[in-house]
Amino acid sequence: MRHGLLLTAVATVTIPGVLAMMAVMGHEHAQADESIAAAALSAVPLTGPFPIAPATARTAVRNNVAAAQGASGAPATVLSRVTASQQVMGMRLLDKAANAGLSTSYQGTELISQSDVGGNVKMISQVWHQGGGPTLVETSSGTTSATQQTTAVASSDPASASPEGVFGVTKSLMALLNKHYVAVYLGNGTAVGRPAAVIDLYSFGGVLVARYWLDKQTLVPLRRELFDTSNNVISEDTFVQVQFGTLAIPQLAGTAAGTNASAGALAITSKSQAQPQSPAQPAWVTMPKPATFRTSLTGQGWPVPGSLPGNLPLYAAASTTTTSGKVADLEYSDGLYVVSLFVQRGSLTPDMTGWRRETLDGQQAFVSGHSVTWSEPGFVYTMIADAPAQTVAQVVGAVSPGGPPGVLGRLGRGFVRIAHVIDPFN
Amino acid sequence: MSHLGDLLSALVDGELSGTELDRANAHVAACGACRVEANALRRLKHELRALAEVHDADGMTSRLLAMTSESCAEGAAGLARLTDLADLAYPVGPTSARDLGRVRGRSTPSRRLIGRRRGRYVLWTTLSLVAVGIGTAAFGMGGNSGSTGPQITPQLEVFDNQHAITSGDVPFVEPADVSTRVPAVAATP
Repeated sequence: MRHGLLLTAVATVTIPGVLAMMAVMGHEHAQADESIAAAALSAVPLTGPFPIAPATARTAVRNNVAAAQGASGAPATVLSRVTASQQVMGMRLLDKAANAGLSTSYQGTELISQSDVGGNVKMISQVWHQGGGPTLVETSSGTTSATQQTTAVASSDPASASPEGVFGVTKSLMALLNKHYVAVYLGNGTAVGRPAAVIDLYSFGGVLVARYWLDKQTLVPLRRELFDTSNNVISEDTFVQVQFGTLAIPQLAGTAAGTNASAGALAITSKSQAQPQSPAQPAWVTMPKPATFRTSLTGQGWPVPGSLPGNLPLYAAASTTTTSGKVADLEYSDGLYVVSLFVQRGSLTPDMTGWRRETLDGQQAFVSGHSVTWSEPGFVYTMIADAPAQTVAQVVGAVSPGGPPGVLGRLGRGFVRIAHVIDPFN
Repeated sequence: MSHLGDLLSALVDGELSGTELDRANAHVAACGACRVEANALRRLKHELRALAEVHDADGMTSRLLAMTSESCAEGAAGLARLTDLADLAYPVGPTSARDLGRVRGRSTPSRRLIGRRRGRYVLWTTLSLVAVGIGTAAFGMGGNSGSTGPQITPQLEVFDNQHAITSGDVPFVEPADVSTRVPAVAATP
């Protein structure tokens, strides 16, 4: 009895005190989050597969994790206590990695290796990023392409609304990722010779789909692997060399204004610049409401889908005008895979030099690297996808209507066009 | 000479007798106009009687009347439409030349009913035409856009860059990219 009272008294005094200290520490040391590593990353590594239900869960729930999570839309409900904390940590680290990719200065060499409709594609990129500033990328193709070339383009955030990150870890994509996948902090690891936090990404069905290595010191992604359903690596993005800290953007050929750059020229833009880089690099106007933009396009007769196979919803849209007319850019993603669909009026030129003709899901298309283009009556589609080859083929088949629309389809399209004529702003 | 007026209808209906009948017959014999009108009324009465027999024979009238829960007058109006005698809005059974003359002379509630029905017909016809018109327009506008537009060579250098920005990854270099790539003009941050 006395022991019980003593214990209660100690708990009454200690718990509020500890909580108050934690609140103060958390408030005053927000920066300490960057070194999440110190305490949290030393957690005991767990064994998979994840996600798992707690042992106390009813059998029906434990055996139906995927359905339960899919129905709830939030993946925390049926995980065990340990796994749930790891999940919270995993998503939190990825969110912070998206910010770190913007705010941290770094330079390094990236190796990108993908298996897609174009076969195995490898690229090597030199990347310089100034924290909160521009990103400079010089990309050259790897060993498997038919030709080897070196060229450079800018990766930037010209409208201050576009995502930017490293290895697909951006703010907007992480928000989508949280809706479609379960991120679980796995433990410590190494990448590029640096200590790293390892995070696994699972589908709601419990299938491992990706693994991230985040630099323990800065949380910048160092490596990312994507897996197919058989646990084979289908994509690997990794730094082969990286340095962090304030760096000087190298003065390479073509960076000075007005320089007549060669194919190896570079372009730099800053977050505050929205003007076109050149006649070939027009400014994109980001649409604040992608769904409304798509509806508007549909009303004008543009056949553009609201979502793509592989559970890829429309999440961003932009438009620009090139020498061949207006181009609509529709972005679809589940947070992991990203498909950019560019649509413009016209037909494909007969001269498709550099492209390989292929049949994808019954549709004639042209493939170059991981780009696919095809023509529908009156429209040309060009797709650039960071997605499995199977998904890419399904997208081509799904976007292509495969014949005339039929009476009802034609009537429906006509009504939409009439509505657009009546109210062109909706 | 004054004409028979309502007496003519009574004469045709066989309702006159005695001196009234003699006087009416004498007038009809002497007056061509009354004779013509009397003949016309008799012909009409005969035709209506024949029609009534036909409809009674196949029971259509009774069925039509039974279908409507409206008044007797409305039922008669429906019958009148069927027999192309829209002006005759009275039941066919005991046809009365007097009634015929009265119907011809002034507007009745049945006529107003017919007017309303005609209005409904006009309304429905107009609405149908509008619906058909909009449907035809939608069908026409729902076809493929006429012209195929310009011939396009996908500008991969533009698309790759945009994809890199939105996907948060480095831009790809495609085999078809080099031939179309235009050097970018540099800008300082």
